[in-house]
Amino acid sequence: MSSDRIVFEDVSKFYGEVLGVNRVSLSIPPGVTTLVGPNGSGKTTLMNLMTGLVQPSSGRVSVLGLDPGDAAQFFREVGYCTQFDSFPRGLTGWEFLMDSLLLHGVTELDAYKLAQEAIQRVRLGDAAGRRIAGYSKGMRQKIRLAQAIAHHPRVLVLDEPLNGLDPMARAQSLALFEELSRQGMHLVISSHILDEVDRISDRVVLITGGYLVAEGNIHQVRQEVRDKPMQVLIRCDRPEQLAARMFALNHCVEARLHSDAKGVFLRTTDLDEFYRLLNAVAVEGLVQIESVAPADDDTNAIYQYLIGSDGSAS
Amino acid sequence: MSSKKSVGFLASILEQPWGLWTLQARRLARIEVRRNMLSWKATWIYFLAFIPTCIIFIHLLVDRHTTTALTEDTNVLAGIMQFYYIRLGVFFGCLGIFSRLIRGEMVERSLHFYLLAPVRREVLLLAKFIAGSISAIALFAAAVLADFVLMYVGFGPAGQEYIFHGPGLGQLEAYLGIMVLACLGYGAVFLLLSMMFKNPMPAAMLVMGWEAINPVMPSLLQKISVASYLRHLMPITIPGDGIFALLTVQTEPVSAGVAVLGLLLLVGVVLAYSCVRIRRLEIRYTTE
Amino acid sequence: MSVYKHEYRAYEGRLTPAWSRIAVLVRYGMAEAWSSRITIGLLTLSMLPIVVYLVLIFLANNPIARAVIMRGSSAILSINATFFLRVLISQCWLALVLTAWIAPRLVSYDLADNALPILLSHPVSRVGYVVGKFIALVSYLSLATWIPCLLLYAYQGYASAAPWMGANLRIAIGVLIGCGLWITLLSILGLALSSWVKWRMMATGIIFAAVFVPAGIGGIIGAILRTKWGLLLNLPVMMTQIWQRLLGVSAFNRIGAGLPNVAMAGALLLLGLVCVFMLNARIRAREVVRG
Repeated sequence: MSSDRIVFEDVSKFYGEVLGVNRVSLSIPPGVTTLVGPNGSGKTTLMNLMTGLVQPSSGRVSVLGLDPGDAAQFFREVGYCTQFDSFPRGLTGWEFLMDSLLLHGVTELDAYKLAQEAIQRVRLGDAAGRRIAGYSKGMRQKIRLAQAIAHHPRVLVLDEPLNGLDPMARAQSLALFEELSRQGMHLVISSHILDEVDRISDRVVLITGGYLVAEGNIHQVRQEVRDKPMQVLIRCDRPEQLAARMFALNHCVEARLHSDAKGVFLRTTDLDEFYRLLNAVAVEGLVQIESVAPADDDTNAIYQYLIGSDGSAS
Repeated sequence: MSSKKSVGFLASILEQPWGLWTLQARRLARIEVRRNMLSWKATWIYFLAFIPTCIIFIHLLVDRHTTTALTEDTNVLAGIMQFYYIRLGVFFGCLGIFSRLIRGEMVERSLHFYLLAPVRREVLLLAKFIAGSISAIALFAAAVLADFVLMYVGFGPAGQEYIFHGPGLGQLEAYLGIMVLACLGYGAVFLLLSMMFKNPMPAAMLVMGWEAINPVMPSLLQKISVASYLRHLMPITIPGDGIFALLTVQTEPVSAGVAVLGLLLLVGVVLAYSCVRIRRLEIRYTTE
Repeated sequence: MSVYKHEYRAYEGRLTPAWSRIAVLVRYGMAEAWSSRITIGLLTLSMLPIVVYLVLIFLANNPIARAVIMRGSSAILSINATFFLRVLISQCWLALVLTAWIAPRLVSYDLADNALPILLSHPVSRVGYVVGKFIALVSYLSLATWIPCLLLYAYQGYASAAPWMGANLRIAIGVLIGCGLWITLLSILGLALSSWVKWRMMATGIIFAAVFVPAGIGGIIGAILRTKWGLLLNLPVMMTQIWQRLLGVSAFNRIGAGLPNVAMAGALLLLGLVCVFMLNARIRAREVVRG
C-alpha cells in the first residue's frame, strides 16, 4: 500500500529549539495535494523532509516506499522544484538541465532529448540558451520546474511553483500540473495562490505553526468543519420567497440576497436537511431553481475557517 | 563462519553500482573543474600560482646568468617552494578552491541541486574533492614546472647539464610530488573545515598558525601537519630564519615513502570523516 | 470623474543634520560587529597580552618583586621603548585578526543581501556609507590597540618612582601614531576587500592573504632579482620598521632597515589609494548581473 503513497509517520523536525513540524502523520495518494498554511507554518519543512534535504528529528518519511537516504533510487522517482531562487554559478538554462540529467546516468543523447522536452513543456523557448543569471523571476521559476520534471519522476514536489509567473504562464503551469496528475503522478504543491491551485487540487493539507490542522478531500474537510455553517448560493426566480421558506428552519442561520436579486446565499448548519427541504421546495414549484452551488466549499474558505487571517489555527 | 561473512561482505561491495558511481563522479568532476578553472572568479588562483613564474621570467630577461649563480638560484627555487608555495600559494589557493566546493554552494544557495540528484552523497563529496584536486594540482604543478624551466633555461648548457645529468630532474620530480601532496593534504583539510564551520576561515588561520609553529612541536604532534610531511620530501632544505630557526626541534629523518604514506593516510582519514559528515548534512540556507 | 481627497501628508517634521546620519551607520555597524560571540571572544583574547604586560609593569616597578624574582637586577625587565614596541606589535597583529573577522560582517552582508541599493536609497551618500563603516571598524580596533597601549603607558607613569611619563613622551606619541596608521590601513583594506567579495568567509581569508601573500611575493622579488625593494610589498616588515622608527628603537629588527621613509610612505599611500579605488568601484546603489 505504501509503495504508491507518500507517508509521514509521526514526523517531527526541530531546528535547535525552533519547531519546524510536530508529530505529523500523513499518507498522500497519487493526484494533486496542496499544502496550505501561512508563512512559516512548516510547508517547506514538510517538503524538505519529503525529499531528504533535512532529516526528521523523530519519525519516518518514505516516498513510494523509498527512503530519501537512498539517493540513487529515490531521486529517480522524485523531482523537487524548490523555492530557493539561486542556481549553480555561470550556467545557461540548457547547461543546467543537461548537467542535472547527466547526473541521473542517462546518455548524452537521451539527456539532450529529455532537456528539449522539458524546455518545451515549461515553454522557456530560446531563453534556455542564455545564462540563468540574466533570467527574469518567471524564467528562473520555469527552468527550476523544467529541471524537476525533466527526468520523468513519479513524484513532483513543487514549493510555490506559481510565484513570479505572469497570469498566462500561471495558467500554462496549472494546465501542465493537471496533465501530469491525470497521467498518475503524485503532485505535492504549496502555494499561496489558493484560487488557482484549488481548481486542480484533489486534496488539501492544512498546516499552521508546525501542526497539521486538517487533511483530505476539500469537500470532506469542509463538511468536517461543523462549527462554520455551509454557505450555498441558489440561483432562482424568486429568491425572497425561497429565503423566507428556508430561513424558517432552525439550521438555516443566515440568508442574504444576491446583488442582482436573482439568487440567495444561505448558511446552514445541517447540509443534508437543507438539501432535503430544497428538493421539496423545488418539487412544490414555488420557485424555479436555476442552479445550486456551495459558496465556501474551497481551499480559500477552509483556510479562513481553520487558520484564519492571522495565521493561527482556530 | 567468519570467512563466509567476509565473502558475503566482499560480494556486497562488488554488487554496488560502481560503474554508475564512476560515471556520476566523472560528470560531477567535469562540472566542478569547468567552474574552478574557466571562471573569471578563479583568476586570483592563477595569480597565486603564476606570480613567481612572472618574477622568474623577469629575472631571465634582465639578469645575467653566470655559472656561480646556479647554486644560488637553485636555493632560491627551493625557498620559493618551501616558503611561498607550501605556506602561502598552495595554502590560500586550496583554501579558496576547496572551501568553495561545499560551503560555497551553501552560501550561493545552490547545493540542494546536487543533493536532489540521484547521486550518493559520498560520491558527490569525493567527486568534488577530485575536481578540486585536479584544478589545484593542474595550476600549481604547471606553475612549478614553468618556474623550474625558466629558472634554468637562462644558464644555457650549464643549466641543461644540471637538469639532465645532475640533480635537476630529481628535484623537479620531488617538487611536483610535493605540489600534488600539498594540494591533496590541504584540500582534504579545508574541505572538512568548510563542512564543519559556517565560516571556515578562522579555523583555516589556526591551521596556518599550527603549520607555522609545527616545527617547534614535539615529534608526535608534528605528525598532525601537512607541512611536516612535505618538509621531509624537500630535496633541498632551506632553514627558516628568525626565532623559528632557533626553536625548531630536530626530529628523526623520515623516509620519503613513509612521509608520502603518512600524508595519504591523513588525507584518507579526513575524507572518511567528511563522508560521515555529508551524510548528515542538511540544507538550511537561512542560517548561512 | 475621480475624487482625490488629498489627505496624505509627507513628513514635515524636524530633520537631523546630514552629517549626523553617518552616526546611524556607525551605530548599526558597531551593533553588527558586537552581535557575534566570536567578536567578543576575539576582543577578550586581545586583552590577554595586555594583562600579561600589566603584570610585567607591576613587577618591574615593585621593589619586593624586583628583589625576589629579578634579584634586584633591572636589566632583566626594563619598561622602555623596546617594551612598548613589543606591546604595539602584539596588539597590532591581533588587530589584523579582528579586522579579518569584523570587516566582512560590516560590508559583505550588505552586498550579499543586496542591501546596498536600499541603504543608498536613503539620504546617505556612498562616501557617508563608507565613512560610517570605517568609523565603526576603527573604533572597534582602537579598543584593542592604542587605548590599552596608552593605558599601560599611563600605568607605568603612575607606578614608576621616577618621573617617567614626561621623559618618555615619544613612546606615547609613537604608539598613538603607529597604531593609528595601522588601524586606518587595516580598516580601509578590510572594507575594500570585503566590498569585492560577497562571501563573508572568503573575505576573511582574503584579508589575511592580502597581508601575507604580497609579503611572500616581495620575498621572491628580493631573492630572485637581488633587490631590497621587494620589501615594499612586505607589510609586516614595513610596519615593524615604521613602529621601530616612531618609537626610536631602530636596533630591534634589522630586516628592512635600509628602506627609506619616503618609499615606505609612498607604498602605504599607494595601498590606501588602491583601496579607495576598489571601494569607489563597488559601493554603488546598483549591481550589474551579466546574463
